[in-house]
Amino acid sequence: MMELRAVIQLRGVSKQFDGKRRVTALEGVDLSIGRGEMVSIVGPSGSGKSTLLNLIGGLDRPSAGEIEIDGAALSQLDDDGLTRVRRDKIGFIFQFFHLLPTLTCLENVSLPLHLRGWPRKKTEQRARELLDLVKLGGRLDHLPDELSGGERQRVAIARALSVFPPVLLADEPTGNLDSATGGEILRLIRDLHERLGSTILIVTHDAAVAGSCARTIHIRDGRIVEDVRR
Amino acid sequence: MILLRLISWPYARKHLSRILLTTAGIMLGVGVFVAMHTANQSVLAAFRSTIDRIAGRTQLQISAGEPGFDEEVLERVQNVAEVRAAAPVIEAAVSTDRGNLLILGVDMLGDRNLRNYDLEGADESIDDPLVFLAQPDSLMVTKTFAAERNLTINSRIPLRTMEGERVFVVRGIMKPGGLASAFGGNIAIMDIYAAQKVFGRGRKFDRIDVALREGVTLAEGIAKLRAALGPGFQIEPPSSRGEEFEATSRIYELGSDITSVFALFIGMFIIYNTFATAVTQRRAEIGILRALGATRGQIGALFLGESAITGLAGTLAGLVFGALTARAMTGYIGGLLEEVYGVAQSAASIEVAPWIAGAAIVMGLATSLTAGLIPARAAAMVDPVKALQKGSYLSPGEGENRTRRKWAMACAALSILALMLNRYTPVFYAGYLLAVMAAVLLAPSLSLRVSKWLRPVWKRIRPVEGALAADSLIQSPRRSSGTVAALMLSLALVISLGGLARSSYRSISEWMRIALNPDLFVTTAESATARSFVFPASLAGGLRKIEGVAEVQPMRSVRVMVKNAPVMLVAADIESLARRARLPAVAGDAERMYRRAAAGEGVILSENYARLHGVRYGEMIEIAAPEGILRLPVVGVVRDFSDQQGSILLSREMFSRYWHDDAANVFRIYLKPGASGAAVRQRILAAYGAQRRLFVLTNSDLRSYVIRVTDQWFGLTYIQIAVAVLVAVLGIVNALTVSILDRRREIGVLRAAGGMRRQIRQTVWMEALGIGAIGLVLGLSLGAAQLYYTLEIARRDLIGIDIGYAYPFPVALALVPAILGAAFLAALAPGESAVRGSLVEALEYE
Amino acid sequence: MNNRWMAQRLAIAALVAAVAARAEDARRIVEEAQKRAQSASQRYEGTLQVIGAENRIATKRWVFERLGSFGQSKALLRFTAPPEVKGVALLIVNHPDRASDQWMWRPAIGREQRIALQDRSTRFFGTDFSFEDLEERDVNQFDYKLLPDEGGQWKIESRPRKPSQYTYSYLWIDKSNYTITRAEMYNKAGLARVIDYRDFEQVRGIWTARTTEVLDVKRKSRTILKFDKLEYDVPLKEDLFTVEALRRES
Repeated sequence: MMELRAVIQLRGVSKQFDGKRRVTALEGVDLSIGRGEMVSIVGPSGSGKSTLLNLIGGLDRPSAGEIEIDGAALSQLDDDGLTRVRRDKIGFIFQFFHLLPTLTCLENVSLPLHLRGWPRKKTEQRARELLDLVKLGGRLDHLPDELSGGERQRVAIARALSVFPPVLLADEPTGNLDSATGGEILRLIRDLHERLGSTILIVTHDAAVAGSCARTIHIRDGRIVEDVRR
Repeated sequence: MILLRLISWPYARKHLSRILLTTAGIMLGVGVFVAMHTANQSVLAAFRSTIDRIAGRTQLQISAGEPGFDEEVLERVQNVAEVRAAAPVIEAAVSTDRGNLLILGVDMLGDRNLRNYDLEGADESIDDPLVFLAQPDSLMVTKTFAAERNLTINSRIPLRTMEGERVFVVRGIMKPGGLASAFGGNIAIMDIYAAQKVFGRGRKFDRIDVALREGVTLAEGIAKLRAALGPGFQIEPPSSRGEEFEATSRIYELGSDITSVFALFIGMFIIYNTFATAVTQRRAEIGILRALGATRGQIGALFLGESAITGLAGTLAGLVFGALTARAMTGYIGGLLEEVYGVAQSAASIEVAPWIAGAAIVMGLATSLTAGLIPARAAAMVDPVKALQKGSYLSPGEGENRTRRKWAMACAALSILALMLNRYTPVFYAGYLLAVMAAVLLAPSLSLRVSKWLRPVWKRIRPVEGALAADSLIQSPRRSSGTVAALMLSLALVISLGGLARSSYRSISEWMRIALNPDLFVTTAESATARSFVFPASLAGGLRKIEGVAEVQPMRSVRVMVKNAPVMLVAADIESLARRARLPAVAGDAERMYRRAAAGEGVILSENYARLHGVRYGEMIEIAAPEGILRLPVVGVVRDFSDQQGSILLSREMFSRYWHDDAANVFRIYLKPGASGAAVRQRILAAYGAQRRLFVLTNSDLRSYVIRVTDQWFGLTYIQIAVAVLVAVLGIVNALTVSILDRRREIGVLRAAGGMRRQIRQTVWMEALGIGAIGLVLGLSLGAAQLYYTLEIARRDLIGIDIGYAYPFPVALALVPAILGAAFLAALAPGESAVRGSLVEALEYE
Repeated sequence: MNNRWMAQRLAIAALVAAVAARAEDARRIVEEAQKRAQSASQRYEGTLQVIGAENRIATKRWVFERLGSFGQSKALLRFTAPPEVKGVALLIVNHPDRASDQWMWRPAIGREQRIALQDRSTRFFGTDFSFEDLEERDVNQFDYKLLPDEGGQWKIESRPRKPSQYTYSYLWIDKSNYTITRAEMYNKAGLARVIDYRDFEQVRGIWTARTTEVLDVKRKSRTILKFDKLEYDVPLKEDLFTVEALRRES
């Protein structure tokens, strides 16, 4: 097997939640994901797979261990530094799409670009391209409410792609869609993976989704119990 | 009740800061009400007790306004069989190194029949009564006064008198209690005949205090005295002396009541806002309760109960806050008494009267219940099935807005109708209320419209943060409209008060330009309004001879009672006034007015007197004077600001005929062309300064004095403005706190998508600025209408002068940065909390 | 009788009353006392000591002049010491049928001041006399009643017919020379003043008390008045005893 340069690197990552009872969500996870890999993470509810995704996405910080994304060690970053990593290196796709209901498709997709401070013209041009990419070029001015579930997820994917980040993180991207639409979305993701060569990490319950990935990591009780490559 | 404890309490505890904010409006409204009324009542109570203390066993007081009356009246009073004791009194306020002192000139022989002043050092501390009487510089002071200044028997104390500064000798020290506690001890006793001399009163008394024989009723006493003295005298129980002060303080009370009502109104919106949001946020909980068998009634009662408790908490806090603030206010109110009595009244004890507390509680509860009504109804209407479905939000229907608009139109139409019929005061006030109601009902629609205008602007400035901030405003009008309405109302209040001030200053300076045009004023005190001292008329002749003086106008102002209301009677040389300081006639023809008044054929009224007392041009006016009733027609009305209660201008000849008094308190001096004011001033001081109490004020001195007095009048306005703005800021904080909660997920998405903290903060800030901006647009517009009503109220019920409409553009301009700044400040904490929260939680769904 | 000015003053008190016979006796005795004290005019220099409750003593001097007798007399009292009060004067014009007229003169203020009837019960310038005590009233202004003798002296109750601060008084009159030796004055509240006459001495045939002591019962303060240079029937001008003269003389 070819030695891939790791774009996601976890060393001894643990996460505990402090509350009335201390809950350990992840314990001593080591993980390395190479550039251009498409990996699925599966496991039962509460196994820690979402926590893993949140840590990799810089939405949360580990209790112990080190995470590196595309060469940036997250633990050394402050809040804004972490945001910068998210902004420049990571795209998120959520189960519930998380489109902003008051913004049109075009505006929703433009959002991360604006946040990067891109000029208006360039932003709009890129957003149109992205919406074309997800085959929604004709729905630029529609509000999320006016779209079907699948369409909404496509907008969300377009938004995640914004600056073609090296890493795409998807949390149950088909979890809220019927199976036909879900399949459609999966095809889109695969297609993007092939065309753009992004590293894609998908948390899923869906065996079909997991099956379509070259590598599947099984998590249980906060530990990686299996790491399968096909 | 059990529901309240199980359901509401945990929620309230979780959102404690928001609940506290919610109560703030009620607290301020109730607080201002309680503070102002308590301060007023406390000062009034203290003043009444002062009157009582000064009156002693006096049952009736005989007076003839400030000019006083001849000594011989005393014998006529003493000869009335029903009179047990009658003692003459002169009152004069003098300035000391520390504050003013009320000097009571009494007849030491008979006065103890009426008044108690127990003296220090057993019984002989008027060290020798004979010496006290024999020496006109004898003064009896209170122990408090003496202690403050380290005075003992035979200490010397300099006081300014008619004959220049004179040194008095303390020949008696009164024990605290009784008379000595009046005016906080700032009272001194002097022999009345010595006082006549020292204060230049001639052989006149200000007042005779009377005690009746046993078994004689007040009514009998008044009737007998009236028969003996004729109609020119007021014969009243001492308590009626408080009335003049009450007339002044009532104006302040009315002003503060308007502020209270506004604060409560604003508080009502804040409560409404909080509860409307709470209903939205707690829909799932309501759904569960309903599913478990709670009736609509129970749910409604739960929310009403919550708002009642919130209102009660705010009210109680307001009571405490009010009681504390009252202390500070009493100083201010007490100072107003200086106008009436020459000595400030401090309130010994400040207690919230039961009726004030009761009224405050009723107001606070009524406000909070009204505010809670609509949210409670909304809560009761929640459909349990829908509520339990995730993610569906309750949004205010377009229908609701349409209904509101209809009502608003109805209110607006009625208020316009009322405007046409505004001759009738109740109709006018109803119209005012309707206009405000219309504005309040329209506020959500209008704020939506303005938000929509704002969106492209905001988006231009910040494509993401701006658009989202504007969207937040557009999407949940319920969240921000209460705040916008509150802000609108408070800004309207500020504009109207600012406009009132601006219009007043404009009118006052116009009046000053015409009426206060002499070059110099010779007065008996630094403050041009002090009337304790007078000049003999003969001084005018001397002043005329001074080099550089072209004309001298002697003028006498005295407060008299006309139709049981205090009014300033101004006796002047009308021919000269007409020539030199010709005010235009508001009613009547100026030429004829001045001619007839100069001939003693009529009086000229100030506009405010005419308006406040409903006297018209051409009517007869009757003024009781020692010589009898003076009956003259009103030959004209002028716009005159010289007195808040109004003034009556009369020729000097008529005044001396009816009051036997030709003294003056002011000489208005016009210089010859080219004469130097400073030089003439020096010459006057050189000629008279050493031998008598005399001040020469320049024109600008006097003008700045008038402006200072006006500033003082508007001092309270600034407090009202501060309260209004403070409440508005609280509203914004409240709205934003709710907004942040509502927008948690949106903010989470923004942050996940790479929004820096700065950018998140900016969207919160822009939302706040948006609320501020909308409030400004609506408030500054409503302010225009509110100003109209305020001026109308001022004209009708407060000052009686039509001061003309002038929109306070400078104030409006100043408000823009002030409100935006305040909005920004209000957004700081919510902005921080927006970037704090856990991202993961924010992104998790419900 | 001697100090008739005082005597009359004593007689001020009291109401109608009593059994006719005894009343006649009493009236006759007082009449006799008044007759014996009669003189056309009088002048003396008085020294006045007020001894307050704390035994503080204030001393003043005055010159007293009287012209005419009893109901028609006029009196002028002018302070001579201490310097602060020098010149303060009291003019009393008595009337047979009503209360006297009284004026006070204060040189520093430069004006006279009428002492109102209602004020006559007040203390006379910090002494224990009241203004009323300085009046002379005629025997006919009272009703009398003879009481049982006390200490070998007549004791007479006297009640004023005209308004007065006192409701009645008791007088003690020496049977040998008809001098009044003691008077007790009562008002509604009870005993108000006690006056004792001492150091009797005959001057031009009139028994005169050189020392008069007044006790204000309520205030517990005493005033002792001593007479010097006492003269009777001195030539005094009528126009001295007018308000105009008050002004002129100072």
